[in-house]
Amino acid sequence: MLRTTSTLVVAGAACALASWLFASSQFFALQASLVGVAVILAVSLNLINGITGQFSIGHGGFMGVGAYVGVVTSSLLTQFQLLPGAPQVVSDQLVLLIALATGGLAAGTMGFLVGLPSLRLKGDYLAIVTLGFGEIIRVAIQNTKEIASDELKLVQAQGIGAELAYRVTHLGRATGLSQIPQLTSFGMVWFWVFVVVMVTRRILGSPHGRALLAIREDEVAAEAMGVDTTGYKVRAFAVASFFAGVAGALFAHFQAIITPAQFDFVKSTEIVVFIVAGGLGSTSGAVVSAMALTLLPEVMRSLFGGFNVEQIRKPLFGLLLVVIMLTRPQGLFGTHELWDLGKRKKRPA
Amino acid sequence: MSDAQLEVKQATMRFGGLKALSEFSLTVKRGDLLGLIGPNGAGKTTAFNVLTGVYAPTTGDVLVSGTRVNGRRPHEINRLGLARTFQNIRLFKELTALDNVKVAVLANTRPLFSRELMGRLRRGTGAQRAGAKVLGALDNYRDWWRAILGTGGFHQEEADVTARAGQLLEVMGLSARADELAKNLPYGDQRRLEIARALGTNPQVLLLDEPAAGMNTREKADLMVLIRALRDKFSLGILLIEHDMKLVMGICERITVLDHGETIAVGTPAEVRANPKVIEAYLGEAAHA
Repeated sequence: MLRTTSTLVVAGAACALASWLFASSQFFALQASLVGVAVILAVSLNLINGITGQFSIGHGGFMGVGAYVGVVTSSLLTQFQLLPGAPQVVSDQLVLLIALATGGLAAGTMGFLVGLPSLRLKGDYLAIVTLGFGEIIRVAIQNTKEIASDELKLVQAQGIGAELAYRVTHLGRATGLSQIPQLTSFGMVWFWVFVVVMVTRRILGSPHGRALLAIREDEVAAEAMGVDTTGYKVRAFAVASFFAGVAGALFAHFQAIITPAQFDFVKSTEIVVFIVAGGLGSTSGAVVSAMALTLLPEVMRSLFGGFNVEQIRKPLFGLLLVVIMLTRPQGLFGTHELWDLGKRKKRPA
Repeated sequence: MSDAQLEVKQATMRFGGLKALSEFSLTVKRGDLLGLIGPNGAGKTTAFNVLTGVYAPTTGDVLVSGTRVNGRRPHEINRLGLARTFQNIRLFKELTALDNVKVAVLANTRPLFSRELMGRLRRGTGAQRAGAKVLGALDNYRDWWRAILGTGGFHQEEADVTARAGQLLEVMGLSARADELAKNLPYGDQRRLEIARALGTNPQVLLLDEPAAGMNTREKADLMVLIRALRDKFSLGILLIEHDMKLVMGICERITVLDHGETIAVGTPAEVRANPKVIEAYLGEAAHA
């Protein structure tokens, strides 16, 4: 417990320091943030698809829930002085933390509600339900209205409750929600990367992690050995959805504008590609492949300069997936972890 | 409450028009060593699936430790004291032998609410059972937090679980293989690991589904000794399905014979062997084959 707290404090301090040191390089900060968000998404989806052996293809939807709920929260809160007298950076980060928490909790609750009925069943139901969920989120946001600044001023005069109601129903349709408070620092992103990796590792090293692995290996046997398979699956799904929501809220707060199309089925598939390429079930695989595949377009841009990288990114991902399936179906890392490298050397007699 | 740990009363299982199991009755007490035999397709595994909650019986009752468990989920029935192994080995292949057993061993967590209270609620009315579920869920989430934060009590429990799982591997003669992946174990070891894993759930009654399948004569002889030893060491009631007549007749005190879902004979090995219905069921099968 004490060790956990001190580890988190040290990690937080290191991230804050890095943020401050690299504050001048906007390009670096943006790339580092994008990579970090991808890693959080990949590691959390791996908890469902890799470790528990279920198949979700709606992680983008949960990310979207977190993004929009987070932005509504921070838009409301930035109007108030939460810490009178504190420097702007500190109060900004506090607002961001609250936005991340609400975004994460909203997505986690959604995950619980979506998981409860669909995880009772075995087989591919979860894939269908999560696919549907992602679409519902996208369509729901497309059917909200755009914020009109004069209207907003009138509503703001009526108090915070009215403004909340206004903002929730005005998420900017397909054209997107803009004027988002730019609060995310890449230090905060990487602090959450640290948290999600630590939480995943701790879960894996506990009875809960063993239960999840047992469900992946043989659900009938796990159930017969007293593992409440539905309960464990729902809990894992809720935890993973929480982190997807946090990733979405982090993402939203360094984007000038968010649109429903950023959280659609293509996004969900991208995250699936990350973890399949990294090796289903391997947290380090998810981290490494999310980093590599997010940076790939940038590397290509600098190599082939001037050439429209965004357009060939998707076909390239498809090609990569085919190549991986043919040459290394277990993914880059299989189910191995970087931190087990030392242990694996020991051969039992 | 009688001292019967497992009681089956007139359980019938229908799949559409097929009666896979018909009015099956059985009682297992602590220290019993019973056999369930019958030709292929007689309904033996169906009987196991009805007892362990994979299927809910169409009619009739199943009682585990005095609690009626019809329609309960398999994991709930398991926690009431009934564990099983599988005919077609169902180990967690990519986990080590030790981890296979650790999955089954319940952490000896001091629960938020007393075991007595939870037990009483779980046996109670619908509303009380729902209450028990909510309280149980609260406890589960607290458990995840303890694991994530790595509290001191959590590390102690992990050590206890590992020690308990290690003991069970030792009992089954698998200590040397603790760190090997289950899928890499030889066949006989896999069968024994299945038993170790079932024992991990701390059962009162153990159901063994063809534990000797695929073993050679020497391994079978060892297994007979082992099953008896387990019964005595853990004061278990054991019910086993087996095709090997020598093994069944050798260790079981009472035998139930099924054919086409019907119970055609119950009795001591000698009685069963002399029963004309049993001979007909087996020889009839042999004649067809």
